[in-house]
Amino acid sequence: MDMLLSNPTFVLIQVLNSISLGMNLFIIAAGLSLIFGVLRVINFAHGAFYMFGAYIMFTVAQEAELGFVTGVVAAAAGLAAIAVVVERGLFRWLYDKEHLMQLLLTFAIVLLMGDLAKIIWGTDQLSVSYPDALRGATDLGVTFYPTYRLMLAVIGPLIFLGLWLLIERTRWGRLTRAATQDMEMLSALGINVPMIYIVIFVIGSALAGVGGALAAPINSPTPGMDATIIVECFVIVIIGGLGSLWGSFVGALIYGFVFNFGSVIVPNWQDVFAFLLLMAVLLVRPWGLYGKPEREGH
Amino acid sequence: MTPTMRITAAAAALFAGGIGAAQAEIKIGVLYPTSGTGAVYGVPAMQGHDMAVDEVNAAGGVNGEMLVTFARDTKLKPAAAAAAAKELITKDNVDVLVGGLSSAVGLAISEVARQEGVVYIATIPKTIQMTTTKLHKHVFRTSSHTDFEGDAMAQIVAQLGKTKLCDIQLDYAYGHDLAAGIEKGLKRHAPDVEKVIDLRSKLGATDYNAQITQILGTGCDVVTSGLWGSHFVNFAQQAQPFGLFDQVVYISGGEIASHEIAGRMGKDYPDNVWSNTYELWYDHTVPAHEKFQADLAARAGTKETAMWPVLAYIGVKFIAAAAEKAGSTDADQLAAALEGMSIDTPVGPRTIDPETHQADTGQFWGPMVRKEGVDYRVMDPVTYIPAKID
Amino acid sequence: MGLHMPRGTLIVCLLIVGALALLPLLESRYLIDLATEIMVYALFALSLNVIIGFSGNVSFGHAAYFAIGGYVNAILLTTYGWPLWLSFPAAVVLSALAAAFVAYFCTRLTDIYFAMLTLAFSMLVWAIAFKWRSVTGGDDGFVGVAVPAFIDSRVPFFYFTLVIVTGSIALLWTICHSAFGQALVAVRENLTRAGFIGVNTRMMRGLAFVVAGTFAGVAGAIFAMYNRGVYTESAFWTESAQVLIMTLLGGMYSFFGPAIGAAVLYILERFANEYTEYWPTVAGLILLVIVLVLPEGLVGLARRIGARLVRRSGA
Repeated sequence: MDMLLSNPTFVLIQVLNSISLGMNLFIIAAGLSLIFGVLRVINFAHGAFYMFGAYIMFTVAQEAELGFVTGVVAAAAGLAAIAVVVERGLFRWLYDKEHLMQLLLTFAIVLLMGDLAKIIWGTDQLSVSYPDALRGATDLGVTFYPTYRLMLAVIGPLIFLGLWLLIERTRWGRLTRAATQDMEMLSALGINVPMIYIVIFVIGSALAGVGGALAAPINSPTPGMDATIIVECFVIVIIGGLGSLWGSFVGALIYGFVFNFGSVIVPNWQDVFAFLLLMAVLLVRPWGLYGKPEREGH
Repeated sequence: MTPTMRITAAAAALFAGGIGAAQAEIKIGVLYPTSGTGAVYGVPAMQGHDMAVDEVNAAGGVNGEMLVTFARDTKLKPAAAAAAAKELITKDNVDVLVGGLSSAVGLAISEVARQEGVVYIATIPKTIQMTTTKLHKHVFRTSSHTDFEGDAMAQIVAQLGKTKLCDIQLDYAYGHDLAAGIEKGLKRHAPDVEKVIDLRSKLGATDYNAQITQILGTGCDVVTSGLWGSHFVNFAQQAQPFGLFDQVVYISGGEIASHEIAGRMGKDYPDNVWSNTYELWYDHTVPAHEKFQADLAARAGTKETAMWPVLAYIGVKFIAAAAEKAGSTDADQLAAALEGMSIDTPVGPRTIDPETHQADTGQFWGPMVRKEGVDYRVMDPVTYIPAKID
Repeated sequence: MGLHMPRGTLIVCLLIVGALALLPLLESRYLIDLATEIMVYALFALSLNVIIGFSGNVSFGHAAYFAIGGYVNAILLTTYGWPLWLSFPAAVVLSALAAAFVAYFCTRLTDIYFAMLTLAFSMLVWAIAFKWRSVTGGDDGFVGVAVPAFIDSRVPFFYFTLVIVTGSIALLWTICHSAFGQALVAVRENLTRAGFIGVNTRMMRGLAFVVAGTFAGVAGAIFAMYNRGVYTESAFWTESAQVLIMTLLGGMYSFFGPAIGAAVLYILERFANEYTEYWPTVAGLILLVIVLVLPEGLVGLARRIGARLVRRSGA
């Protein structure tokens, strides 16, 4: 606490900590939010997808030694494949059902994937090395800061930009946005709506995979890692607004700052803080900072 | 009981699936988490348990009776563990309970053992309460506890001549207890050490940057900690680029010297770490260890073996020894036999204190160093710090 | 729907209660324990269904009230040495008050936002139980509850549970089948229309939440004494998920469905634990079946089979 007041470098480091944490979470939360925005499903299994991303990274980069980038690509591809199976095999039967049933379905996937991970990778806590180029720290002039963390802080905004361009600046993105408003109209116009659903689900899930793969060197792949991340992602997307890309970006940054500065200023209570923040947002502005209020009875 | 009642009772037991077992066996109810987060420990523990049972039975059992295992998954949830423990007693009619992992699960099983009057041997839980405020005549512990662990850490702080100490613990029972144990140990061994900051991370935390940078800011020369398992892996991976391990000696409880961690982290295991373990697969200080490790390796199918099996293994060996001495599986006689009992284990002799029901389980401590031709860290020198507080 | 239970249902209920009352004659400690545990979970699941089945909202934080009932009863009995006839009602009243407090906020929201807010509140309860170590014992749990002597052994405790649970279920049935219950169903069926015909929908949903929280508190207070301990996990969201699955497995559109779901899921879980460490897979498959095949639960399935049999015999 004193250090915050007396040491500007310390403050700078905490800011960097907040941004890099927030950006890693953004990559994952953006996927969750994107899927909700179009499919209207809150995917509880998003955390399990993240976990699989981390485990795939372990297999590809650590065990098979095929390199870090290959690991990230493999995680994205692996989760894309899982997403196709899940969407075609399970989700599509439930689009017209109640939210509750959809949630339960995704919860079933959580349970099944947890055991599947246990069968494939066992129960050890695993460890993934930093790629050689990103090991160590970078000199920022006033202080050294871990290179890998800086990389996360850069990749997050890049992914944000990519998603933004895709959704705001392409024809396909316009169709997708239209799909969030009125699916029936799109269908009537002869647009292949199921295709939009699959692609969005694949992109969202691949983001979870990438997020998990990128987290692996600082977040040991281990059973149960899915439960922690999904709660964090819920907090972020609700604060930011379900379905909003800007919302996940800002929500993730807010979470990063609350968590880091909370740890310094009110140690031990930072997670309670996050829940209180969540409650406050739900009560004052349930649709989140960047979401749109929905009509009753959706 | 009237004869008719006896018949209905038998029918009920049949209905419940609890009858039909031969008399000449000793039934052990074993409770480890084998699914979810706790499976990291429960699954290897079961390996050690099964190995000990097989060994005892291969040698002709106990007084001619075979050991039979009835296993349940505690799911690392105390209420589930309590229900499973009751079921083991009332349905499978086990003679003794063994196992446990977290403090809450250990205490929950212990409470069932108290109610039902069945002996429970805690093999992993370290909470000090179990053998102090919550002690009863049927609970015993063969693992270490947080006062022993904290005392050993304070001894190392003193030995290394460090002066400014930062403590980082997980914000839950084990972390609080270990912090208290260290505090008490420092008063005994290193009263001049200045405790600069107490940091707490939540159980299951994945991001430690805020704590790491605070430690760096304080200028401590030693960090004490009980971050275990994946917590340590994450902390170490995040702290290394900051150069934390160049600045401090990191003295850790939580058995991060075990091969599960050192082997998995390989070259990523940081410098300047001192830690503890109940067992090291490569350390044969105790002659019996060599055979134990070879058998375990054959069972696991790997040359290097995990640490957790030995704890479950010792639990079973105590049960066998107690049943042999008591010549019965009656709970009170078993408990009486366990009080003051000594056995030899692959990691040295163990004696259960007749008063506190706590085994004198010390641990191996030492610095984790690089070694020629080995691609993971090993403890060298290995020092056994006995479970003794003076 | 009136206040009279259909004769068939009434007879089945009486038979079940009667059979339970005779259970201790079998002298199986195992069956008595199992029956006690199932009764507690049945009441817990039935209470949740007041929110889901009758008012149409989904609470993801129902475990909070179960935990509050348990902690309050345990602490008053043990730390403060209160007699049971004071501590038990106090536990139930506090659960109800907590539910009322949360309901005041949550009923502003619907659907997914309602669910998320209930989840957030329950995690707050969990955090308090976890952090307030001097009172709750933190995550070591509150172990060693001082259970009054007259129910401090297996059979008396079983009868105590039987009486309280039967009484609570009868009360719940009456509430759900009163004018209040019918208004709730109207709210569930169509929120907007119920508003038009003059039902104060927010008030109704709030009252349903309080009723549910109250009876969850009763179940929790019993369970704390049964286990001689309360643990933080009882407020964790996974417990809320479990009771939700029980409710849906049995069937949310039937009053007794959740109790059946609780019994089936609990027995399955115990059974599976003897033979496999892959309970999550079993639970996951059960959920898939509910979602894809049995959205109205086991009771819905029974009704469908019943209807088919009737049609066949009629033709």
